[in-house]
Amino acid sequence: MAIVIQPYRPEHEPAVAEFNRRLRQSSADNDLVFSGTAVPHWLPPNAGTPIWNEFFVAIEGSSAVRGTYGLKQEQMFIRGKGLHRVACYHHALSEGIIDRSYASVGALLVRDALARQPLLYVLGMGGYEHPLAKMLNALGFSLTLVPFYFRIVHPHKFLLEMKAVRDSRWRAILMSIAAATGTGWLAVKAAQGALRLRARPGHFITEEVNGFSAWADDLWSEAKNAVSMAAVRDANTLRILYPADDGYLTRVRVSRNGTAIGWAVVGERRKDPKFGGMRVGSVVDCWASPENAVPVVRAASCALEKQGLDLIVSNQSHHLWCRAFENSGFLKGPSTFIFAASKQLTELLQPFEDHKTSFHVTRADGDGLPRNF
Amino acid sequence: MASDLFGVPANQISNASSPETIEAWDSVQHLNLVLALEQKFNLQLSPEEIEQMKSIGDVTQLIEGKLQVTPS
Repeated sequence: MAIVIQPYRPEHEPAVAEFNRRLRQSSADNDLVFSGTAVPHWLPPNAGTPIWNEFFVAIEGSSAVRGTYGLKQEQMFIRGKGLHRVACYHHALSEGIIDRSYASVGALLVRDALARQPLLYVLGMGGYEHPLAKMLNALGFSLTLVPFYFRIVHPHKFLLEMKAVRDSRWRAILMSIAAATGTGWLAVKAAQGALRLRARPGHFITEEVNGFSAWADDLWSEAKNAVSMAAVRDANTLRILYPADDGYLTRVRVSRNGTAIGWAVVGERRKDPKFGGMRVGSVVDCWASPENAVPVVRAASCALEKQGLDLIVSNQSHHLWCRAFENSGFLKGPSTFIFAASKQLTELLQPFEDHKTSFHVTRADGDGLPRNF
Repeated sequence: MASDLFGVPANQISNASSPETIEAWDSVQHLNLVLALEQKFNLQLSPEEIEQMKSIGDVTQLIEGKLQVTPS
């Protein structure tokens, strides 16, 4: 029977629930779940909103759902080319994951999304070997890794709990010895401390704030031309992304001489088996003129340390923000976090290879919010 | 083309070959097959046609049909 892709409506919800059940039953991956409701809980398409989510379902016959995807519609600033409406393609799920006779659904979904919004990007994916990354590559998307940074707050716990690094028996034994003797603590603190000496952040004041107002608009206007591309981060958009009543995330404003010089949003990540029993914090988002990036990173890091987290992580694409993280005691780790731009979006971002290190992409972009960072 | 894409000897591919019988025929290779067909035969496949491609026989029939109606 023919498969037709159409907007997700409330009458599809039982079929989506059944689709989710089939995926869960046949796969150990708990993330293979699509929204149970046709109206998105996160970024619903309200009138006048500059950023919203919309969902689509691939229906076979009268009602069976064989695939799903979401488009996060948003405004992107591209230096020299102004604002453009783009969309992030996310939560693309296909029956083909569990039933090979539906191998065509993945191609149908991504081509449907491109037909609806040619200025498309995808973020995350888990590395170049991921099937979606391979499909995007085949479709002529431009792919680039967004660097990953981490800072160990509690070395003893890191050495004992970091499952992804304790991946061999001998390495696990060595890390346990390093933890028990204190040599690991010393080595980690020395390495991170040395990095922090490379930059002096100057005097700054940090305060936790409930929301974003005119000061955030000023910062957006001042700093946007230092990036070649960024999703809009004006006060109106930030109030939608980080609503005042969301107590899970911490909003940090950084000031000098009574004037805001930057902001960051930080929060604790969901539990992840690769981090063992550690509490992991994320510098989810940040914004400032590049010369003020170091104090913002220090303030963000400090806010997470105060919350008692063991490890702090972040993904940053802009080379000056990368340097600010390195100069704040963060170490660079292997990244599997990919930014992929469709052919038409790549055209706007040309020369892509030269500009990609001044894109401003963080964990808050794509479908990283509200909790997937 | 299918032999190259799926890494299977041509003599092991028949009209009945499908994602269920060719290990490498997954969603990624299905897209690669679509793109390769579009490039080789200079045609566009619609979503309905992509979805119809459930076996090599289906693919052959689809392309033959499109070539017959497409003026060269």
